[in-house]
Amino acid sequence: MAQHQVNYSQDGGLPIALTSIDKVVNWGRSNSLWAMTYGLACCGIEMMASGASRFDFDRFGTIFRASPRQSDLMIVAGTLTKKHAEFIKRLYDQMAEPRWVISMGSCANTGGMFNTYATVQGVDRIIPVDLYLPGCAPRPETLQYAVMMLQKKIRAEKAGKAQRPKRLL
Amino acid sequence: MQQPNRLRPFFENITFDREDNEMIVNFGPQHPSAHGQLRLILHMQQEQITKAHPDVGYLHRGMEKMAENMIYNEFMPTTDRMDYIASSSNNYGFALAVEKLIDVQVPRRAKVIRMMLLEINRLMSHLFWLATTALDIGAMTVFLYAFREREYLMDIIEDYCGARLTHAAIRIGGVPLDIPDNFLHDLRVFLNKLPENIKDYEDLLDTNRIWLMRMEDVGVIPEEMALSWGCTGPMLRASNVKWDIRKEEPYELYDEVEFEVPYSDKCDNYARYKVYMQEMRESAKILYQTIDMYAETVKNNETELMAHAPQYISAPKLELMTQNYSLMQHFVLVTQGMRPPVGEVYVVTESPKGELGFYINSQGGPYPYRLKLRAPSFWHTGILTDLLPGHYIPDVVSIIGTTNIVFGEVDR
Amino acid sequence: MRAYKPKDDVQKKSYYTDRYWIAPQVPTSKVEDDAVFAADLAAIKAKFDVSDAYIQVEQMVVYIKPEDNYAVLELLRDELGYTQLSEMSAIDWIAKQGQFEIFYQMLSMSKRKRLRIKCFIDEKQAIESVSPLFRSADWSEREMYDMFGTIVNNHPYMKRILMPDDWEGHPLRKTYPLQGDEFAAWYEVDRIYGKEARAIIGPEIRDSAEVDRLDTERFSRLGFEVPMGAEPKAADAEPTVETLQEEGGVFLVEKFDEADGHIIEDRKR
Repeated sequence: MAQHQVNYSQDGGLPIALTSIDKVVNWGRSNSLWAMTYGLACCGIEMMASGASRFDFDRFGTIFRASPRQSDLMIVAGTLTKKHAEFIKRLYDQMAEPRWVISMGSCANTGGMFNTYATVQGVDRIIPVDLYLPGCAPRPETLQYAVMMLQKKIRAEKAGKAQRPKRLL
Repeated sequence: MQQPNRLRPFFENITFDREDNEMIVNFGPQHPSAHGQLRLILHMQQEQITKAHPDVGYLHRGMEKMAENMIYNEFMPTTDRMDYIASSSNNYGFALAVEKLIDVQVPRRAKVIRMMLLEINRLMSHLFWLATTALDIGAMTVFLYAFREREYLMDIIEDYCGARLTHAAIRIGGVPLDIPDNFLHDLRVFLNKLPENIKDYEDLLDTNRIWLMRMEDVGVIPEEMALSWGCTGPMLRASNVKWDIRKEEPYELYDEVEFEVPYSDKCDNYARYKVYMQEMRESAKILYQTIDMYAETVKNNETELMAHAPQYISAPKLELMTQNYSLMQHFVLVTQGMRPPVGEVYVVTESPKGELGFYINSQGGPYPYRLKLRAPSFWHTGILTDLLPGHYIPDVVSIIGTTNIVFGEVDR
Repeated sequence: MRAYKPKDDVQKKSYYTDRYWIAPQVPTSKVEDDAVFAADLAAIKAKFDVSDAYIQVEQMVVYIKPEDNYAVLELLRDELGYTQLSEMSAIDWIAKQGQFEIFYQMLSMSKRKRLRIKCFIDEKQAIESVSPLFRSADWSEREMYDMFGTIVNNHPYMKRILMPDDWEGHPLRKTYPLQGDEFAAWYEVDRIYGKEARAIIGPEIRDSAEVDRLDTERFSRLGFEVPMGAEPKAADAEPTVETLQEEGGVFLVEKFDEADGHIIEDRKR
């Protein structure tokens, strides 16, 4: 058996990294954001494209899950109509804390070009949103940048304290 | 805080009725394999479906109402969001309908460019169809391969119009831009590679045991049923009706190009898959011919891109900058909009999904009085009512896959 | 005086129309010009009343009585080869003549011809369903009912299709505004959170150019930034014309001081 002598005072010091619980937990959370496939309209296609071969979302640790129970992140990609609104609320409630929401595209942000009777004027009327992503439709690069921004946001959060659930009301 | 009883569903997700053993399953509207926002209410005996109610409208954004409150040119970008897999084909359908209404002739070079865009869109749509259907059935590799090819096409179309998904690349009366320098080269490189790619997909799928089990003799649509339900496009051609609007009622320059219309008499999912694959090859064939046609227009020095109809369509930029009256007309056309003649028109084109029709009723004002969008997917969703009973629950996914429905188009 | 706005048609209208503007017509031709259409029209005329028929943009338009719709379509399908109903819907003419116009767009694949059957029904009048003939009419008629509120008799499943079941109003009627009525504006809030949440969530912002200068959560105040979510204080207030003036005034421009001003008492001075 080989004997290794570790010289603690030299060679870069102790084989220990000191950090805070916050940082470790947030490092874990931010690097495995499992997104829920919430493709509603055109933006959903770009969301698929960002998960597919060219843009390869898996590099970010972002894997699309089909179930709200297994996902941390809801990417609302597309137009939310009034008929659909109750389902988004129900699926959001089914996601486990901590959870984040990206509103992708103009329609999800504000209703966008569909200023009509049937469109919800912004998904933030139904669920709390962490990040708004402009564009119609946003390119896959934009979505990836948004996820990177969200990771940044998560890393700035306190992890140890019990998270206050985000609610609209 | 949400009140627990407020969001009670219309019925519980699954109910067991002990007397007749019938089960009601709710599928969607947010199901990963529902191709958007399809909701199916399935009545089942064991695993067999006895009754199916497709519930649509979860993406209804009121496009027809928007059209009544918009000038004609303003509505063009909205058509992009109908069949968002192949935006230009919607742009084209609308542009053609208005052109028929105001009766203008589109210059030849614009026609060639439009045909290129249409066929590129058809390829994009079919590749996307293949990718998603294969993914739903479990073939992840095909999904990744087909998306790779689709990205090449998206780059080509981005070179032309600057957008990946929502192109708005076609104007009423022509096209806004000539094709960029490297466009034809890129397209040719892609087309040279495409047959190999299609062969790759077919090698992966054609004789694949799982693929065959999910596709063969599943979702059989007899000819009468397809006609009665208003099926068009590949759905109809796979049901033994050789009907392609490009061939039968040619628009643009489709009567000048040579291509075959693939069809099948097997009527099942597999037949539809083969029709789609064959159509991709035919699209490539048309694209090769349009490249030559474009070269011809260059040789003949036909540089016009927009039709000449000063009453309806703005003059070219040079004229706007030099002639006062053109500028005045342009100002009126932009602020008030064109006023087509009183009348109505129903114009069909062969979009990748089927017969895309625009019914426009104009009362001489700058806003259409009534605009009805005839989207093929609407009826391809409706047919599920009659098609699903008798099938088993795994077949639902493969049938929805091969109907190739897009919900921007179903709900409009 | 406020400008009069008609209540029976609230759709957008052009802000300017020339007084002498006469809209041109899409040219129509006689049915006799086309042999195939002429034969079809003769077959329809032999059995039914046809009030008008002409060819417009390569398609024949035939006006029939609304009671005949089923029989005419049956004739077209079984004897004249019009095997597909491509499309059907309604047009709202209530403001003009109190009627809906219903059109059936037919396709004959053997003849490569398309024709349009049209009829007028009154606002409350019902029309017979053609879904036993063409299954595609099943969904079209539902959509027509959903969008216009036209009642269809003997339909197998007469329910709304695009709008939710508990929706009020028929969106494609000309009396229905594009951005929806009161019910539409609060639909999702009422349904999910209840009416009592209206005050908290607030009304929809329909103006795409709306900027709330006091909302520091969603809008930045360029040049006068405050931390996100903070209340803007008086010191952060936006400058007015007076505050922008330099102290002591600019050369040739006197700084206005209210104390120096005097009110003119005598207007005729």
